[in-house]
Amino acid sequence: MSEHESVRGLLALAAAGVLDPDEQVRVDRHVRDCEECRRKVETWQAYARELHHLPQPQAPARLMERTRDRVLQERGGITEHRWEDLILAALALFAWTVTLSGWLVLRIFTGGALLIMGTNFLRLATWSLVSTGLMWISAAAAALVLGRKRRQWRRI
Amino acid sequence: MILAAAMNPDALGGAPEAMVRLRRGDPDALGSIISQYQHRLYRYLLRLTKNPATADDLFQQTWVRVMEKIGRFDAARNFESWLFSIARNLAMDHFRAHPIEPLDAREPAIKTSSAGDALDQLLDFERSAMLAECMSSLPAIHREVITLRFEEGMKLEEIADVAGVPLSTVKSRLHRALEGLRTSMEERVAGRRI
Repeated sequence: MSEHESVRGLLALAAAGVLDPDEQVRVDRHVRDCEECRRKVETWQAYARELHHLPQPQAPARLMERTRDRVLQERGGITEHRWEDLILAALALFAWTVTLSGWLVLRIFTGGALLIMGTNFLRLATWSLVSTGLMWISAAAAALVLGRKRRQWRRI
Repeated sequence: MILAAAMNPDALGGAPEAMVRLRRGDPDALGSIISQYQHRLYRYLLRLTKNPATADDLFQQTWVRVMEKIGRFDAARNFESWLFSIARNLAMDHFRAHPIEPLDAREPAIKTSSAGDALDQLLDFERSAMLAECMSSLPAIHREVITLRFEEGMKLEEIADVAGVPLSTVKSRLHRALEGLRTSMEERVAGRRI
């Protein structure tokens, strides 16, 4: 590729002002002697000038306020979720504490055996199974009630 | 995540005071920073999407994302590039979800033209408006590089940072974008003359 062809490929970028210093020197040196490239670089410079002065759309009125509100709203949502997670964790801990302490208290008062229909409910495995089942049923009921309430609030 | 942003305000080091306040979760700082960048960011998104409603929504999403990620912002990095790269990623997600015109669409081959200097022939026309029209006919990837270079005045390194591509790619993309613009202008001028 000749120097002329090589430099011609750099003219647009020269007008955009993004050439390396070495490339810029090459372009400057070449256009001093090449009428065709000089005219081309002038054309590109005219494009660059026009591009710097394109019609400038502005952000719509109140976009800033709407954005700020949305960010704060999302932040509120995240904080709310954190609280919900904390409350859930605390409730789970509480439930297990009650289950375990209930098991201990009953063992002390009954001497370690609470027979119902031939099953000893104070065996740790049985007690855990029954307690977990009851907890799941309670949680499902609570979720149903809360979900219904939330739907009502949304309608309001 | 927002709270995480407030956890380590000192990591921003020499960043503007508003940024440090933003990191502490100060809503006034958020207003101040949005105000500083609102027109430029909106314009960038509008040039990319060509749709005011989409640009509006992406603008808001960008700031929500900024607040989520500000805790992990590297103070050594240019905030402006970081902000625009977040906006760009959201725009890409949007294009993926609504694939009318993907941002990384195939770049068209450069058409070389032997026509004369189109700009000289355009003196009687509304050049800026026509140029803007021509620009909007370019692929999004080319509109992006032109708007970042000429409207936002970013350096090649900053554009590479925003677009997440090597410097050489930005350079060739800018070259192709300008050639595409010139071709489009020449075609319009030829069309008007007929």
